[in-house]
Amino acid sequence: MDFDWALLGFGPEGWGMVLIRAGGMTLVVSICAFMLGLVLGTLCAWARIAGSRWVQRLAIGYTVVLRGVPDLLVIYLFYFGGRQVVAAVGTALGFEGPFDISGFVAGVLAIGLISGAAQSEVLRGAYYAVPTGTIEAGRVVGMGRLTLFRRVIAPQALTTAIPAMGNQWQSVIKETALISVTGLVETMRQVSIAAGSTQEHFMFYLAGAVIFLIITSLSDIVFRIAERRSLRGHQQGHA
Amino acid sequence: MSIPAIAVTGLHKSFGANAVLRGIDLKAQDGDVISLIGASGSGKSTFLRCIPMLEVPDSGIVAVGEHVIEPRGGILSRRDKVTARTIRSELGFVFQGFNLWPHRTVLENVIEAPIHVQGRPRAECVEEAEALLDKVGLSDKRDAWPVHLSGGQQQRVAIARALAQHPRALLFDEPTSALDPELVGEVLKVIRSLAEEGRTMLIVTHEMGFAREVSSRTVFLHQGLIEEDGHPDQVFGNPVSDRCRAFVSGHFQRNR
Amino acid sequence: MDTEFLSGIFLKLLTGLPLTLNLTALSLLGGGMLALLLNLMRASRLGNTIAATYVFVFRGTPLLIQIFMIYYGLASFDAVRSSFLWPFLREPYWCGLLALALNDAAYTSEILRGGLRAVPQGAVEAGRVSGMSRIMVMRRIVLPLAMRQALPAYSNEIISMLKATALVSTITLLDVTGLARAEVSATYRAVEIFLCAAVIYLALSLLVTRGAGWLERRLSPYKFGVSA
Repeated sequence: MDFDWALLGFGPEGWGMVLIRAGGMTLVVSICAFMLGLVLGTLCAWARIAGSRWVQRLAIGYTVVLRGVPDLLVIYLFYFGGRQVVAAVGTALGFEGPFDISGFVAGVLAIGLISGAAQSEVLRGAYYAVPTGTIEAGRVVGMGRLTLFRRVIAPQALTTAIPAMGNQWQSVIKETALISVTGLVETMRQVSIAAGSTQEHFMFYLAGAVIFLIITSLSDIVFRIAERRSLRGHQQGHA
Repeated sequence: MSIPAIAVTGLHKSFGANAVLRGIDLKAQDGDVISLIGASGSGKSTFLRCIPMLEVPDSGIVAVGEHVIEPRGGILSRRDKVTARTIRSELGFVFQGFNLWPHRTVLENVIEAPIHVQGRPRAECVEEAEALLDKVGLSDKRDAWPVHLSGGQQQRVAIARALAQHPRALLFDEPTSALDPELVGEVLKVIRSLAEEGRTMLIVTHEMGFAREVSSRTVFLHQGLIEEDGHPDQVFGNPVSDRCRAFVSGHFQRNR
Repeated sequence: MDTEFLSGIFLKLLTGLPLTLNLTALSLLGGGMLALLLNLMRASRLGNTIAATYVFVFRGTPLLIQIFMIYYGLASFDAVRSSFLWPFLREPYWCGLLALALNDAAYTSEILRGGLRAVPQGAVEAGRVSGMSRIMVMRRIVLPLAMRQALPAYSNEIISMLKATALVSTITLLDVTGLARAEVSATYRAVEIFLCAAVIYLALSLLVTRGAGWLERRLSPYKFGVSA
């Protein structure tokens, strides 16, 4: 079959502008979810490194559960489950239906929670990869705990964490495609709509794949630059 | 004279622009113990690695017993590759870095090639391997894993593994260079006992005292050529070449 | 809590388990074979480029798009519709399985590549020098060491695939997630039903983690300070 490329253009028939906007939405959702994941991941890693026994168990439980349950199911739970809870609470308070919740919020919460579990593992690994000798060296020159963390631990841990954090970011971008099930118009949802209304399924899914490839490979470049920057002066042979 | 155990003729080998071997000829008769000495970069390890074709020479002839390989332009023909495998199973090679297989126990390391390459019955191989481990003083480590052994113990297992192939000759590539000083002795002791048995051996080493004591012949390499070749007493005591004299006296001073 | 409702749902969801397990196992099998092929291809320059591009494309795009592209996209080609493959490609099951296997291959090939790279060169040389053929070195030394090295990462990949099979519910298949979705539209009790499904997946992935740990201890006891 021949593709009608004008459908991807910016003319009156074209979906170009709409697709770019959808790509922008994918990026925004991804950033929000990743940031939420970073906060949760940091807290969870901290809990596992320095928390009391019960805090540690809680953190381990969180990572085990979210590593073992399909992402799609987590999103369903937040979106449909969230709607059910909101409806129950709303009815109890005497409000009139119908009740709905935002796909954006449910999606960001779900993916942020999933990513937080994975990021906590990365951060924890990076912390333990810091050579104890350098920490001791900081102690013997009289650094306090905060200074030690800020000047010795964090810079070294960050260096080892960057590549793995790059992978986590890539996973988040791809996971956001699942938010399309809530009806949020991001790339995946938009190409499905376009594919349905034009009956050009392959072309629009291909376009969607290309949008994702552009976002993932651009972020890959950014993370590589960040990695090179952070390695400056840290390791021999990487100068 | 019978066919020599190892005969190398006109061996050349370059890595890029760097000519490491520039025409080496060497014959080892059965029962010879030849030590190869020289500064680092003189090409002695590369020479040793060329015999079982771990490095493929650019030109020259390598013969082990009646098996002959003549590579051209650093490439082995299909037939050469088959011969190379025959040569390898006729030799025992001991590496500087031991190179035991980490996923096999000590005993499994020793019986691997006899069973799977030479196709000998398992029971016979196990019995013989146990005797070999006893000989290198490690019969109690039969079921241990390589990572749990000291460097000296690993190297002794590697020697037992080489012996298990019933090799016509043994090649040692700086067998004690990767060891802590206090572990060198136990390995040299094993190698010395093999020399006393009359095994054919080529030993690349930096242990000059040991080389002088065990070998029947010593070869000094310099920049990819044999510069001095003779009885150890002559090479160490009264070398013809000035370079060899400087190298040898430097070493003995340092070791004192 | 309504235990009767919950146990009913639980039993209902379990009927989707065979499909979930079937898709997981077969996509891992197909993906694993393709991954081995991709690594063999890397020996040549052209093959290396093809393998790298394959990995780049399949790891750079969401699995959901890959599934839709195969299920909805391929059907828009007349050539596909008239080919002998059509009886397969019209079925959501085969499309889902194909997408999962292709996706798994991209990730598994990278895991395998990492494992192959971690094989110490000395162990390979020791094999060659003892007279082993290239194939025997591969079979007795390189692959066993690479697999031991890759096992922890691969157990994560198994869990990923188990979780990924949930996406086939978007193309009408009734796996555990698909059944949960259907039950929710019938009863509107999303929280209980999806939690039930989550428990099933969680139990399976814990089982995989346990199994992989057991296998690792069995294959490489030397990593755990046990002297046989």
